[in-house]
Amino acid sequence: MPSSQPLPPKENALFKRILKSYEQKQYKNGLKFAKQILSNPKFAEHGETLSMKGLTLNCMGRKEEAYEHVRRGLRNDLMSHVCWHVYGLLQRSDKKYDEAIKCYRNALKWDKDNVQILRDLSLLQIQMRDLEGYRDTRYSLLRLRPGQRASWIGFAMAYHLLHDYDNALQVLDDFRKTLTKSSYDYEQSELLLYMHQVMFEGGLYQKSLSHLQQFEDQICDKLSLMEARAQLYLKLDRQKDAEEEYRKLLKRNPDNRQYYFGLEEARGLTNEDIKLQMYAELRESYPRAILARRIPLSYASGEKFRSLVDQYLRHALHKGAPPLFVDLRSLYAQPGKAAIIEELLLGYIASLIKCERFDEKDVKDGPAEPASAILWTYYYLAQHYDFHKDSAKALHYINLAIDHTPTLIELYVTKGRLFKHAGNPIEAYRCLDEAQSLDTADRYINSKCAKYMLRANLIQEAEMTCSKFTREGVSAMENLNEMQCMWFQTECAVAYQRMGKWGEALKKCHEVERHFVEIIEDQFDFHTYCMRKMTLRAYVGLLRLEDVLRSHPFYFSAARCAIEVYLHLHDHPLQDEPTKEELQEASLPPLELKKLRAQQRKAAKKAEQEKQEKLLQQQREQREREQREREQRDPHTDAPPVDDLQPQKLARVEDPLDQAIKFLQPLQEWGSNHIEVHLLAFEVYLRKGKPLLMLQSVKRALKVDPNHPQVHSCLIRLHRFLTNGDLLSENVSHPAVTSVLNSETQPLFSNHNDAEQLNKEFLEQNKNSLPHILQGAKMMCFLNPTREAEAVALVSRFSDAYQGVTVQTCSDILKAFQKGEFGEAGRQEIDDFKALCHQRMPHAVDFFSGQQVAPSANHNHTVEEVLTNHVSNLTVEDGTN
Amino acid sequence: MNIRCARPEDLMNMQHCNLLCLPENYQMKYFFYHGLSWPQLSYVAENEKGHIVGYVLAKMEEDSEDEPHGHITSLAVKRSHRRLGLAQKLMDQASRSMIECFNAKYVSLHVRKSNRAALNLYTNTLKFSISEIEPKYYADGEDAYAMKRDLVSFSQQHDTLPADPSTFYETKTPEERKRLAAIAQENRNMEE
Repeated sequence: MPSSQPLPPKENALFKRILKSYEQKQYKNGLKFAKQILSNPKFAEHGETLSMKGLTLNCMGRKEEAYEHVRRGLRNDLMSHVCWHVYGLLQRSDKKYDEAIKCYRNALKWDKDNVQILRDLSLLQIQMRDLEGYRDTRYSLLRLRPGQRASWIGFAMAYHLLHDYDNALQVLDDFRKTLTKSSYDYEQSELLLYMHQVMFEGGLYQKSLSHLQQFEDQICDKLSLMEARAQLYLKLDRQKDAEEEYRKLLKRNPDNRQYYFGLEEARGLTNEDIKLQMYAELRESYPRAILARRIPLSYASGEKFRSLVDQYLRHALHKGAPPLFVDLRSLYAQPGKAAIIEELLLGYIASLIKCERFDEKDVKDGPAEPASAILWTYYYLAQHYDFHKDSAKALHYINLAIDHTPTLIELYVTKGRLFKHAGNPIEAYRCLDEAQSLDTADRYINSKCAKYMLRANLIQEAEMTCSKFTREGVSAMENLNEMQCMWFQTECAVAYQRMGKWGEALKKCHEVERHFVEIIEDQFDFHTYCMRKMTLRAYVGLLRLEDVLRSHPFYFSAARCAIEVYLHLHDHPLQDEPTKEELQEASLPPLELKKLRAQQRKAAKKAEQEKQEKLLQQQREQREREQREREQRDPHTDAPPVDDLQPQKLARVEDPLDQAIKFLQPLQEWGSNHIEVHLLAFEVYLRKGKPLLMLQSVKRALKVDPNHPQVHSCLIRLHRFLTNGDLLSENVSHPAVTSVLNSETQPLFSNHNDAEQLNKEFLEQNKNSLPHILQGAKMMCFLNPTREAEAVALVSRFSDAYQGVTVQTCSDILKAFQKGEFGEAGRQEIDDFKALCHQRMPHAVDFFSGQQVAPSANHNHTVEEVLTNHVSNLTVEDGTN
Repeated sequence: MNIRCARPEDLMNMQHCNLLCLPENYQMKYFFYHGLSWPQLSYVAENEKGHIVGYVLAKMEEDSEDEPHGHITSLAVKRSHRRLGLAQKLMDQASRSMIECFNAKYVSLHVRKSNRAALNLYTNTLKFSISEIEPKYYADGEDAYAMKRDLVSFSQQHDTLPADPSTFYETKTPEERKRLAAIAQENRNMEE
């Protein structure tokens, strides 16, 4: 369609040169030509020229001017597909994909068969998963360009993604018939396997099998072919064929668990003895396959289990296999198996000491075990007792192992883990530091050491440790961010959170969030690439992965941290730094205060040094960054300004709850099997004053775990919210809402009108579980502050018979005392409670009293120093637990 | 322990494993590039919990003058899971797929000159041999050994059929190869 503002030949030629300059990235020239047109008063408002000028300016980083020109151009020529297309491109470059799609659609109104615009539109539609729109656009493209391969594939794929298998197959088959090659062709092979995938997902098993048989010779990916066939045979009840196929697969890869299970299914094995018989035969055929020996351990029981696990353990301990415990840990969930393993191992030790055999009976036949056999047995036992939270025995065995072979790195890693579990992150990190010093060339051990440093709140040290393996010339933090090293960033965030450095914590959380945005962005290029490469199965896999990307545990951890910090910032908004410090100190008892003062002096000195170093470092980085930018920059463009994450700004957020919700929503969508998601959601909506959403969170939490202690505290607070007339009338205006709330909550509250009564029942029902008692006691204080002393007594007089007497629970109780959740009565209990816990959990730093902290030799950090970090943050915890 | 071909949803966890274990790191997009260009060539080892404890990230070198051959971009096994022979199992599976799907005649890789443990693994266990030294290959200035493993003999030992037997088994002289490469280049130019 011709432009509504046609240019005379001379100007038209200039306009074409603008287009050419844009394509060749000659932006300055483009502007020159635009000026030549626009300076003529007759064409000063020529829409398409203004648009192209704007697009050119955008490429030069002059975003504001760009938008101004493009919008003006569009206003002047609303019927030009060029103006709309350009506006779309501009929006797309700003990643405003929804807006860009609207623009492209408008452009197509004026030029419906413009292939370039259709292609651009289709990319945005698939990126945004507008699948119906994508199908329609792909149809137009097929109609206009039937000779192109991608036209067919794209159209078929659109149907597939919409689960319209018949149409997808029809298109694919029509396209396949045009292919002629009979010899090796990877792309054709991929297409044939993609067709199988569509048939399989459409439930067309017989058709799929025939398809595979027909084209067997043209499929070079034999593994996919065999796996597909085996699966189909099972679906079609052709057990014999399935068995044969799985046997072939096992021959190819006897370390694939799925093949063993496939074989079991093909043979219809349910009886334990027959299964074990099958594995005994497979062990003969594949002596090197670990799975043939490992899988039966899950099936066998009693004496049979004892004999099998005995062989398994001896084999591994003889060879020396570090992952043995991790490998067997899942068996511990089956009753009795851990006890059998323990018995065997203790027997080995006694016998190895006596006669260097796993069993005294073996003395006559066979050679002695290597000296390392007892070492690996000690090593296993240490982990075994650690699993059972028996830190005394665990330490005993790990020390025996270290005495035996002081140079084995794995032993220090395990010892560190023991201390971590026992509640001493400082001692834990020391062990890892020791391990790391024994092999400085191994990044794995280096990473573990850095992680333990972060657990001990030693962030600078951790960065320093990591820097041994990051690129030279940039700070480790920067390099780790560039490489999307999310474990490190999340651990950092959580450490900052513990230390009450809210802004820094948020910065790290947002960095992780940006990685996810970037990874979602990454798929863009593959929309066209994979159709060219024909790797369609992998491409569909990518799309499905990206659809649920934020279900990844990395996102979960970072989002949880961010939400907790935002909740804290809502409850305790930051004003000026000193005020915050004063607030913290006001809640401290005199002794703690004295300690804090000393720590502050030390910290201030250290901070001054760090500040200097940091300043220098920042200047260095700034210079380097500018240098790099200069190098990368196109000579004609200005780099768009980098949107920096500034901790101070982040911590002084105006709408913390809305920010929290941004992190919460993906968790609610993809992490709803985690109870924590709903507990956090409750905290957010409680503060938002949204009773319906509070109710929703409680109901979802109950669905995941009806007996979770924290759900109770949510219930009580919801009860309080609903029975407090003022609160309710402030937040709920419609009577229908009130009636829904009433009818929905009655069963949850067991028809109690009195929250105290509800709480009482909860405490009675859970009188032997400390985590439950803690929540019940907290709510007792919440509902009635005069009962604080009673509540303190409940949580501080626990017995060994209670469930859940762990470092974590006791630490939570202590923190609740320190934060004043139990009033004055709680504060007075602190010392006694620490002493009580220290007796039971002697390694946990939270229960150390000042005198018990012994500085350790040959180390850079005294426990005192490290504790500073731990103690100081006790007072600034958020109120979410 | 479970060894299987990597899927797109494994790639993020492979990146994590890479960052934990090795000094050479890559952004996600590079992992995607491997997984979406040669989906058959990368393998993972996972433990009982389904966590990735080792992986091989591999590709094809298709545009060089040389014959088609595979290349190992990255191979890692967590220190906590050594001594189980995982590296060898991963490499064998990847090599096999290179032959079957892409007709690869050999597989190449780079290793730091100072990395004795890796050199030992490649030379003794995996039957690679040093083909040349690439000076200053790594970002920090260290030299690399370029290593190769012949896949024609591998295919015979492991009973593996190549994608295209007619070209897989024939040996060409360097001159012949150059000539063929020139023809291929010309064809490409014409297509463009």
